[in-house]
Amino acid sequence: MGAAVDLDPNPVVSDVLVVGGGIGGLMAAIRAAEVGAGVAVIEKGDARRSGSGGMGNDHFACYIPEVHGDVNAVVQEHMLSTLGGLQDLSMVRAYYMKSFEIVQLWEKWGISMRPHGHWEFTGHALPGHIRFFLKFAGANQKTVLEKQARYHHVRIFNRTPAVELLKEDGRVVGAVGIDSSRDEPVIRIFLAKSVVLTTGSTNRIYPPTTPAWLFNSPFMPTNTGDGRAMALRAGANLVNMEFPYTHAGPRYLERSGKATWVGYFKDPRGNRASAFLDRPSKELGEPTSDIFHGLFDHYRDTGRGPVYMDTTEDTDDDIEYMEWGHRNEGNVYLLKALKEEGVDFRRHMVEFGRYNPAFTSGRGIEVNEAGETNVEGLYSAGDEMGNLRATLGGAAVFGWIAGESAAGRALSTEAPRLEDPAGHPAVRRVHSLARSFMDRNSGASWREANIALEQIMWDYAGIRVRSENLLTAGLTYLRTLRRKAIDGVAAANSHELVRTFEVLDLMDVGEAAIEAALERKETRFTHARVDYPYTNPLYTDMFLRMRRTGGELGSEGEYGFEWRRRH
Amino acid sequence: MPPVIYADKCTGCGICYKECPLDVFRWEGPGRAPTVAYPDECWHCGACMVDCPIPGAIDIRLPLPLMILHVESPTARPPVESPEAIRVRAGGGM
Repeated sequence: MGAAVDLDPNPVVSDVLVVGGGIGGLMAAIRAAEVGAGVAVIEKGDARRSGSGGMGNDHFACYIPEVHGDVNAVVQEHMLSTLGGLQDLSMVRAYYMKSFEIVQLWEKWGISMRPHGHWEFTGHALPGHIRFFLKFAGANQKTVLEKQARYHHVRIFNRTPAVELLKEDGRVVGAVGIDSSRDEPVIRIFLAKSVVLTTGSTNRIYPPTTPAWLFNSPFMPTNTGDGRAMALRAGANLVNMEFPYTHAGPRYLERSGKATWVGYFKDPRGNRASAFLDRPSKELGEPTSDIFHGLFDHYRDTGRGPVYMDTTEDTDDDIEYMEWGHRNEGNVYLLKALKEEGVDFRRHMVEFGRYNPAFTSGRGIEVNEAGETNVEGLYSAGDEMGNLRATLGGAAVFGWIAGESAAGRALSTEAPRLEDPAGHPAVRRVHSLARSFMDRNSGASWREANIALEQIMWDYAGIRVRSENLLTAGLTYLRTLRRKAIDGVAAANSHELVRTFEVLDLMDVGEAAIEAALERKETRFTHARVDYPYTNPLYTDMFLRMRRTGGELGSEGEYGFEWRRRH
Repeated sequence: MPPVIYADKCTGCGICYKECPLDVFRWEGPGRAPTVAYPDECWHCGACMVDCPIPGAIDIRLPLPLMILHVESPTARPPVESPEAIRVRAGGGM
């Protein structure tokens, strides 16, 4: 039997509560504090290194008027090329109009945004087209932002993931967190006038390319869709959940930073496999897998693969530039591993592969240009946003926007009145679930539940074949699995308890994704309905907006849908 | 299993334990070397290695399933020979 689960009845009260201390969360916190709000951040890990950008980034999608001229040229290229997909143009435009301001702010704070003395745009670009990914040196981005947040008197609660939002009279008034800084978990209550969700992408929902290594993913594997799941349960709208995202990179060591590589794709005999390049280009990166995610599978399935990233035609300067880029992208460990594995960029080609799906930026919570959701008091930014796909920059820019909006609301509204916070149904639900997991002497581990979910998602809601039969069966199996997990998972300490709640959120995200996949009766992007094998023009530019209309944490959800045109 | 802490070098400052985004370590307090409680939850982000104040006190070993698949390229450049190798090949007379 695990330790007892204490509940601290004294809430932490702030104007603005930020859930997640990644790029988006820290930017929201800094801005909210700057305009006068008292801010608390609750973070699952430690805000100095947490999140997918914890170790750095080297590309920031940015519009600079003196470089690009008309913003519409950048918006058009954004939609056409690497970031594409279904997004609100109003959001894309709002993003780019704010992007340079944020880039200049970062530079002022000590993040090197023009390490070579000028605004340099390289990577994720198509031949002959304008480039909009600003190459910067972001290895210190998280430590700089964390210091800024502390300087602005933001209170940061590390090792305290949020597991449920608190709602009162239809508005969000805080969150319940689990303090896991000691082995004995403590349930903590956070009350606020507005809440900003910034929990990043959803990983560990499909199996990794290495079945035996669960925490292998190109994005932070403890980003488990907590924001999407909490938003769903709070009644927020989500969009694009029928379109999982697939990344690419070194075959088995799953990493981000594919545009940081300078080289181009070849087959084993050295024939070109790149759709765009016949020599290395540090200006373009290798855009083929941005455009055609299925490249690697296609080559394998037709017997022509595997596909390799070949850097042997690089100049020495290119190689130096690539290594410098990887260090700033947070790939210090990748460089070390390459060296230890004996890889020489001048001699070897490295096999690349398509990674299994995740829900990243561009499928998730629907927000407006101010970062507001449809639920009063609830805001969202970063990789969990559904109607904008802008990755790192999206977190930085919309974190800032959402923080400002949340603070504006907080400073002009009354504090929520909760007579008995510890008696709130959401607090009691979290406490009772936590106790049931910790009280069990033996049972399944969170890991079993996680792996079982990944199996179901891959086999019944994967990216190769979807149909009403498969999806319906998958939904049934997922719900059975959830019941088994609720009744059977045992957690020995706070660490395992946090992982267990992660899996419950993953199940809610998975359930929503399957429900959405059933509803979109066509084939589009990664959503391959073999029973509707065509792309239906009636659904072009149409978001499938979903909302969970019933079902508390750890139980089956009910869903409502509507179609809306993108704007 | 990754990561590896060399207890003879570690000063027990606990920075790796505090910063690890995945809560992989366990630590008994100042002066004690952290232990690796959840090695298979390591993401190989390198935060512990990069932020450790003592060079060589912590390392991350790449697990075999994550091996980096690579082959020699048809356009491979000849390996850059070290001055020592050239000296040896030249019969030591340089």
